[in-house]
Amino acid sequence: MNASLAAKIRERVERIETMPSVPTIFMPLLDLLNLPPEQTQLDDVVKLISYDNTMAAQCLRMASSPLFGLATPPKSIRSAVVTLGLRRVETILLTCCLADAFPARNWIIDPSAFWRHSLGCAMVCRKFSEKIAAKGGDGDKAYMAGLLHDIGFMVNSMIFPAEFAKAFEQACHDRVSLDQSEFAIMGFTHCETGHALAEKWRLPDDIIQVIAHHHAVENSASAQPLVALVHLSDLLCRVRGMGYGYYECQRLDLVSDPAWAILLNENRHLQEIDLARFTFELDESVGEVLEVVSDIFGSASAKSASGSRSH
Amino acid sequence: MTTGTQTATQLAASRPVVAIDPVIRQIRDLVYKVSGIYQPEEKLYLMSDGCERRIKQLKLQTPNDYWIRLTAHASRDVELRHLLNEITIGETYMFRCPPQLDALRKVILPELLADKTNQIVKRVRIWSAGCSTGEEPYTLAITMLEESHGLLKDWQVEIIATDLNDRSVETAKAGIYGDYSLRFITDTLKQKYFLPVDGKKFQVRDQVKKLISFSRLNLQDDSKVLFMKGMDIIFCCNVLIYFDGTSKTKVINHYFSNLNFGGYFFLGTSESLLKLNDKFHLVHFPGTIAYWKPSLKSGKL
Repeated sequence: MNASLAAKIRERVERIETMPSVPTIFMPLLDLLNLPPEQTQLDDVVKLISYDNTMAAQCLRMASSPLFGLATPPKSIRSAVVTLGLRRVETILLTCCLADAFPARNWIIDPSAFWRHSLGCAMVCRKFSEKIAAKGGDGDKAYMAGLLHDIGFMVNSMIFPAEFAKAFEQACHDRVSLDQSEFAIMGFTHCETGHALAEKWRLPDDIIQVIAHHHAVENSASAQPLVALVHLSDLLCRVRGMGYGYYECQRLDLVSDPAWAILLNENRHLQEIDLARFTFELDESVGEVLEVVSDIFGSASAKSASGSRSH
Repeated sequence: MTTGTQTATQLAASRPVVAIDPVIRQIRDLVYKVSGIYQPEEKLYLMSDGCERRIKQLKLQTPNDYWIRLTAHASRDVELRHLLNEITIGETYMFRCPPQLDALRKVILPELLADKTNQIVKRVRIWSAGCSTGEEPYTLAITMLEESHGLLKDWQVEIIATDLNDRSVETAKAGIYGDYSLRFITDTLKQKYFLPVDGKKFQVRDQVKKLISFSRLNLQDDSKVLFMKGMDIIFCCNVLIYFDGTSKTKVINHYFSNLNFGGYFFLGTSESLLKLNDKFHLVHFPGTIAYWKPSLKSGKL
């Protein structure tokens, strides 16, 4: 990408600041997320959530969703934080904030498809990370990375609507991956715009690497295993019904992907993974993801999809 | 909406709101480890019902008693077989797994044909191993015939269908089916490839039968299985679940050598190879998975 294009993107991304809908707790939350886990105080998080009533309610609702697998739903913010753990609550908050920061108006991509993919990918990343880690692994970091990896699509939707609409239309028509058609039409992709936004928001460096390089893992300067994990989970989602509403990926050989070798190099447990069973478990989670999308974001199409199951 | 999502939604639609005994999940994991059959959460109640029936028949009290019967009792292998019979649907029908057929038409065939363009004999060979009463090979034959003016123009298709059971093979050869077997076939395909017989039944037309050769074969008979060479695709759905670990590994290794480079091997919808062979690559398709013997040019062998 040339310098003037990068400057153009940065200049446009700067304008996102003027958007009225960014929740008040968003920036303090990002500051909290940047702290190492041992420095995060329970009370700070509880205070942050309680600051915003809608956010608190949304957060509780999400904590009770099957995605987090609690036997009894938490009754107070404090008990939610204690039961779910700080990191998990932070990722829930982040999800809610993002939904508020980018209200589903004038979206180029169907919002329910966007959230289905982002939450689906977040869920796959967490499960994948936990599956291959020696001791638990940082499932929440993986979740956050999966949730945010395509944030550039929201930027493109807002500040390059005409060009992005054309790119999306072409991707659906040619059944190619969206980043390919973005590059062909716009000369840059959601990876660059997402990167600019992530830097502006001062997201942790490993998350920035994921946002910028999840389509070309080898280009990431650091955190390669995390970028590889998100790359593979992203592909898996797109071939298992959690993509952007069309199948651009009809065949996926995970083991032959260069990202697999990168991840394997860091984590020998990957060799032991039973991919078939992992896939069955992911398939059964698709329903859960749909439920969360409909619960939290109230999207009409997600609601109609999940509504049909109660009859 | 995408196929995968629909499937999950449909599955969820059948989910009753009943708490599942944790022992049932333990049994689910045991069944998976032994047979490779995975019962997803949405279908766990089916396993629960199956266990319940066995508990009654064996005059046991709790799922935990049954767990002991499945693990510590001398007749545990026999009992596991009973349970497998309870949870797998014995009957088969045409067009049972559309995602497999989609993967075949949209991805695998174009890929295989491109690989074979330089070959003198333009032929695709498919083996339906454990074809039961013939629904699977006929489904495959009809799918192939539908492509005969397009993708498969000028190509010869050969389907080899085998089963251990003589009676099944005879039924398959006759090719006469009732409503149950035909419930998922479209009217257009039914009219095109079947003839009405005996009032309510339908017989497969000769043009379909011509593609298939039926025979009896025991998959455990090494010398015979060795001869099944030059396959492009093997379907072996819900057959290996009854094999013990050693026989299963042996059959899967045979399949690997039976297949041409670049060939594919399909198991049943919720069945897994359990990592019994690490030369096959697990490949994902929308709504289904298959095992791939890497092509020579892919350099992945």
